[in-house]
Amino acid sequence: MDNYQASRMREASRGRGLIPPCQVACPLHMEIGEYVDLVAQGKVMEALQVIRDGNPFPSICAYVCTHPCEDACRRSQVDKPIAIRALKRFAVEFGGDRMIQLEAETKQSEKVAVVGSGPAGLACAYYLRKLGYPVTIFEAYSELGGMLRVGIPQYRLPREVVDTEVQRLIHMGVEIKANTRVISLDLLFDMGYKAVFITVGAHQSLRMGIEGEESPGVIDGATFLREVNLGLKPSLGEEVAVVGGGNVAMDAARAAVRLGVSKVNILYRRSRAEMPAGPDEITQATEEGVETMFLVAPTKMKRENGRLSVTCVRMELGEPDAGGRRRPVPIEDSEFNMEFDTLITAIGQAPQISENFRLRIGRGSTIQVDPVTLTTNRTGVFAGGDAVTGPATVTQALASGRQAAFRIDDYLRHRYPLVDREAEGTLSGELLPKTIEMIRKIERLEPPLLPPEARTKEFKAVELIYNWEAAVDEARRCLRCGMGAEILFQDKCATCLTCLRVCPYHVPYLDEAGTIQIPADQCQACGICVTECPARAIVLRKPSDRRQIDEELEHALKSAAESKSKPLIIGFCCQYGLFGTGALASLWREGKAGIWIVPVLCVAKLEGEHILRAFEMGAEGVFIAGCGEQCSRENTAFWVLQRVEKVRQALVQIGLEAERLQTFNLRAAEENIAQALDTFTEQIGGLCLASVIKQEVKS
Amino acid sequence: MIVAEQKPVEEIRRVIAPYERVLLLGCGTCVTVCGAGGEREVSFLNSALRVAQARSGDGIHSFSEYTVKRQCDFEFLDVLADKVNEVDAILSLGCGIGVQVVAERFPDIPVLPGVNTSFMGMAKEWGVWDERCAACGDCRLAETAGICPITRCTKGILNGPCAGTKNGKCEANKDMDCAWILIYKRLERLQQLEKMRRYYPPRNFRVIPRPRRIVKKIDVDLGEDNG
Amino acid sequence: MANSLFEEKLNSDVFLVTTEIGPPKGADVSEMVHHMDLLKDKVDAINVTDHQSSVMRFPSLGGCLLVKERGGEPILQITCRDRNRLAIQADLLLAYSRDIKNVLCLTGDSIDVGDHKEAKPVFDLDSVQLLRMAREMESGKDMGGNELRGVPQFCLGASVHPEADFIEPQLIKFEKKVIAGAQFFQTQGIFDLENLRRFMQYASQFNVKILAGIIVLASARMARYMNDNVPGIIVSQAIIDELANVEKGKGLQKGVEIAARLMKTIREENLCHGVHIMAVGNERIVPDILEAAQPVSTHR
Repeated sequence: MDNYQASRMREASRGRGLIPPCQVACPLHMEIGEYVDLVAQGKVMEALQVIRDGNPFPSICAYVCTHPCEDACRRSQVDKPIAIRALKRFAVEFGGDRMIQLEAETKQSEKVAVVGSGPAGLACAYYLRKLGYPVTIFEAYSELGGMLRVGIPQYRLPREVVDTEVQRLIHMGVEIKANTRVISLDLLFDMGYKAVFITVGAHQSLRMGIEGEESPGVIDGATFLREVNLGLKPSLGEEVAVVGGGNVAMDAARAAVRLGVSKVNILYRRSRAEMPAGPDEITQATEEGVETMFLVAPTKMKRENGRLSVTCVRMELGEPDAGGRRRPVPIEDSEFNMEFDTLITAIGQAPQISENFRLRIGRGSTIQVDPVTLTTNRTGVFAGGDAVTGPATVTQALASGRQAAFRIDDYLRHRYPLVDREAEGTLSGELLPKTIEMIRKIERLEPPLLPPEARTKEFKAVELIYNWEAAVDEARRCLRCGMGAEILFQDKCATCLTCLRVCPYHVPYLDEAGTIQIPADQCQACGICVTECPARAIVLRKPSDRRQIDEELEHALKSAAESKSKPLIIGFCCQYGLFGTGALASLWREGKAGIWIVPVLCVAKLEGEHILRAFEMGAEGVFIAGCGEQCSRENTAFWVLQRVEKVRQALVQIGLEAERLQTFNLRAAEENIAQALDTFTEQIGGLCLASVIKQEVKS
Repeated sequence: MIVAEQKPVEEIRRVIAPYERVLLLGCGTCVTVCGAGGEREVSFLNSALRVAQARSGDGIHSFSEYTVKRQCDFEFLDVLADKVNEVDAILSLGCGIGVQVVAERFPDIPVLPGVNTSFMGMAKEWGVWDERCAACGDCRLAETAGICPITRCTKGILNGPCAGTKNGKCEANKDMDCAWILIYKRLERLQQLEKMRRYYPPRNFRVIPRPRRIVKKIDVDLGEDNG
Repeated sequence: MANSLFEEKLNSDVFLVTTEIGPPKGADVSEMVHHMDLLKDKVDAINVTDHQSSVMRFPSLGGCLLVKERGGEPILQITCRDRNRLAIQADLLLAYSRDIKNVLCLTGDSIDVGDHKEAKPVFDLDSVQLLRMAREMESGKDMGGNELRGVPQFCLGASVHPEADFIEPQLIKFEKKVIAGAQFFQTQGIFDLENLRRFMQYASQFNVKILAGIIVLASARMARYMNDNVPGIIVSQAIIDELANVEKGKGLQKGVEIAARLMKTIREENLCHGVHIMAVGNERIVPDILEAAQPVSTHR
């Protein structure tokens, strides 16, 4: 891991709670919990800022990342994981990623050459440029982007997205040399470059090694996709077979459909469970009419009567291989024949490294590097991306590029390349059944897709974007791992068992020593125990969460004091509901006639003292607007009402009317919030008038 | 544990009226557990008093807050030695014991009670506390299957039940179980009904004269000859 | 030898009839005296209640003195609610010295049901302990173990609740009272004779006299009120319905009819040893009940 990643992780565990499994699983260790929560709050631009902080090209990932975060997401222990990639896409689009301009200035003199303009190369160039180095990207093709351009079809990643990122890099001052194949590294050093990053990808398709592979009508997947992406329309005939089970095979098959092929068959030698392609890909391919034959492999082909005659054999699964997948074994005497017009091979790719580079090559034709520093056998030459790992994911390539940039920086600045240990404080426990039981099961909202018939006509992007409400609702399903409560002041804890009794998820427990423990990996961060603890011994782990309401309240009170509008009404509104329904969004912007909104991240975290402070600083009325039973956490409405009653009793004893404190449900269908607020404002106005009259009568 | 209830805010306001600087003193033990006088309640009361002051306009008070671990032991109160010089009165949210110990420790400053100490009891569930022990000093739970007739029977009789029990509830409070029906049922369950058939003579109220004292310290004779 | 006229009758086989008079809230005893005159020759003994339902009234002891004055046979009611053991022993000495020897020993209703809800409840003793204490005084010593100069003798009684919804604990208590020294029992109001029969199956093994309590109801509303608010009363639904079905103004008449019916049945079927009529404010109609329940044992 490089300094950058490690320092991000360390800061995360210090300032923002424990690191959740999604962040650990992400190759870029993005602060996923943070930006998902910001989306839930409706703060899209802030979410985008967090995303851009950890990812140089969020728009690309938003389309094609294989989302290891979702695979690690603990929500899957309850129902389905959060649709993180789709939420990122939402933040990118609605947060105005397109408008962001990047600047960089040259602070160093050493030039760096990046060979290959795939995701690893682009990322390396981005970070090196931000560090102030003059960077040149060398790309053999006319188009930049590597696999992003020539490998992934446009219905998955539109070309404008890649173009925009490349333009941004140019604007930052990165020099691009397209149509320039690098044949010798010595030449680069002669040209004055002080360091070189080789990231040429893995574009060479593997051969099946069967008879007839050279026949006309047999085309390898990488070449096929390249031609399609470059705008050529290879003619495929009516019936096409695709051999393989990975994403390239899926891409090839679905591209073929879009080119008008009426029958596309995938031939895969293992079963569905072992298919490496993403499950979404497989589903969408099937919807588009692609048929898959499992446990089938071609053994020989020949061209006959203008068609390809392909002999296949049926397979069965035998013992697992070194990778753990069960090895396919041909079943004797099970050969059968099929006829196709074209056969596309997509059984894997390997890098093709020129011998001139004099780099040490290892298994799978990949470049051998030191895993920490990414250095090769040649001084000043670094390597990363698919060229080193073999075919991997876009996000892994981005991470590799970032790592390379910081290691190149170490090298050029003569710094010893320190190995940063993994940041402490990661969280990964299994949720206990008693907690899972209490978490409300909510359907995962999938992003909308174009209907299959519409998709197959052209190469338009298949996946559409969430609308506001869907995005917020999906983001609210997040369990906020690691952002929950902890007993910070054990000495204050009187072991009154309140936290244990009020927790809707049965999280706090008494250990053998009779001490209360609140396990971080079970806590759902609802905040109820924090506000109910009679000794105030419990806090939320995120320091910003702890301060949030106090700061927002003081800010609102200050603004209200300056504006002097009467009567002053303070409204504590759930930020999560505010934008989800848009109900109070307009009020929020207008600062309507004396109403000042204090956004809180769930009204369950509101304490009685906050409400009283509002009254103390001159509020004539206070309302609390929450999500009622629609709150993403259980039982919060009950506790808010308890607190409200308690404050009301205190108000009455002080001489204020109980009606000055009201609650509203932002999510209730029957309640017209705007109207209810108008009524409340009138009521408060009336009470003020009444008290003024009473004062006059007294005197 | 000791269960108390915070006094109404208006009563507290009346009681602190003559004093300008008031220290709101919480206790981190019993009154924290029953939610009457812990740090959170101190903070809430402080807010409420400030609101009252802001609304009424006559703002002579300034409030400070502090919560000690316990008020019923002198050692815990040492930390207040400097603070008491800066205030005119202490409003203690501790139980009656706490108020008196604080008053004894700081005799030069008025110490006022902020809670009504109610009873010794248990939490049936969150937010519901029931009296269980009257500190009668003559515990006879062995005879009544672990159910105290002094606290749980309104009349506190030892040869129960009386004729007022109906539906297993007490004549005085229909929400309260008749203790003697409970005792009967549990003795029956333990197959010890003969305990209920026994005659129990009147209580020895001599243990009650106030104030009671228990002495654990033993007077030993440290004579010169002995080691 | 019997200590009192009432005890004499207890020791015989005669069917006993007692009734109770509630003292006034105040110093004007004229109406109470009037009731005493009305009833003294018609019943075997008259109870004077002691702050019944915890409502402050002219004391039972004072009432018993008046009964004696008017020539009747009084039963003193002592509850443990208002006096500690010193005061109770003193009252017993006073009663005995003025020839009031019949004592009904009660625990007493709780303070909460009465009209001085903030008073301190004493309950230094309960009814069982009170019976024992009275018996111990008869042996010449007070509760402190000191010799008495002038030793009292009493005819002791207690109450029992045969209509209780959970009967076993009541039977245990009943037995304890018998062992402690009770000679006669006046029960809480009986409305369903089945309960009485069942109770008597158990009680007849003891050498005590049982007088069934009969409450005179004036209306269905009164019945329901007593059900909800008066300790020890459980009026059956059948009786409530019977009262509800009469026209306005005839409620008391119905109540009298029901009381007389119960009394007659008890006497005819020999269900127990007598009745104790509680008119609860309507003392003037007791003679009517007695008449309606003829043939009834009258004062001999």
